[in-house]
Amino acid sequence: MIPKVAFQMYMVAFNGEFSQQMSREVQHHIRKLNGVTLMVMKTGIIGAFDDSVAPFVQAHPGVKLVGGVTLSPHGYAADRLQRIFAENLAKQIQVKTE
Amino acid sequence: MPNVGAELASVPFGKMIYDMASAIARSQVALDKASIQLVKVLANTTFDYVPDVVETLLPNPRQVRGANGAPLVDADGDPVMITGVQVQTDVGDSFPLTLLQAGVNPTFYAFTNSQIEVKMSITSTQESSNTFSVGVSVTASADFLFASGSVSSHVNFTSANKYSYSVTGSSSMSTVLNPVPPPKNMMPRFFLVNAIDPAKITVSQS
Repeated sequence: MIPKVAFQMYMVAFNGEFSQQMSREVQHHIRKLNGVTLMVMKTGIIGAFDDSVAPFVQAHPGVKLVGGVTLSPHGYAADRLQRIFAENLAKQIQVKTE
Repeated sequence: MPNVGAELASVPFGKMIYDMASAIARSQVALDKASIQLVKVLANTTFDYVPDVVETLLPNPRQVRGANGAPLVDADGDPVMITGVQVQTDVGDSFPLTLLQAGVNPTFYAFTNSQIEVKMSITSTQESSNTFSVGVSVTASADFLFASGSVSSHVNFTSANKYSYSVTGSSSMSTVLNPVPPPKNMMPRFFLVNAIDPAKITVSQS
């Protein structure tokens, strides 16, 4: 049975200066909470995870801010971002047929 | 006697509604502040955007080689050619683009459909018991010159009343939080000035 989850896109802003190690730690933290990383930048991560785990992501010492975001189709690079998100998502999830 | 109307009137509805509305207003302000903070983060997060990649297919004719690697010629001695193709790639100069410009918008939330429910149960019981007993005793005696008699009676009456009165109440409050489009006055406007034709200015807002 597929659990019903309220997956949302979030911007996870880093706390302090960017470091590769800290970025990876936050990505692993999101993965442990059954979330996925859609895009990584120097100031933060765009990820997708369940509403209920947002406070746990926020609790990571490397995280400054967690806020829900949406992708506007009228954005200058919305289609490009959508493709990047899809490519990164495909690397992290397994599709099974039952 | 229990007065249901008085009990209901004693429920502080006004205060409950005020407290709830006040809590919702405070939460709404906190949520809006967090979303505005997110607008700042998105506006300051840039990535290198490559606007275009031009791929040009150019002809690349070459002579077909035979089994031994020697150039192949036809019966007339002319070389056997294939068109071939070469892809020339021209990557446009990248420029920094903010996530906000790219189309990532913060989610704003609004409380909708708030509800206060008060349940009250009033129980009143009254129990009365009365006991009544009557007794009569008659005694008589007779002698040679004298006779006497006495009659005595008693009445016992007991009355007991028990009253019990209990009021139990419970209240619940619920509210629904929905994502809403970003308010116009909280989102920046984008002015696109075309340097080739400065008269053309496009204004857009998420």
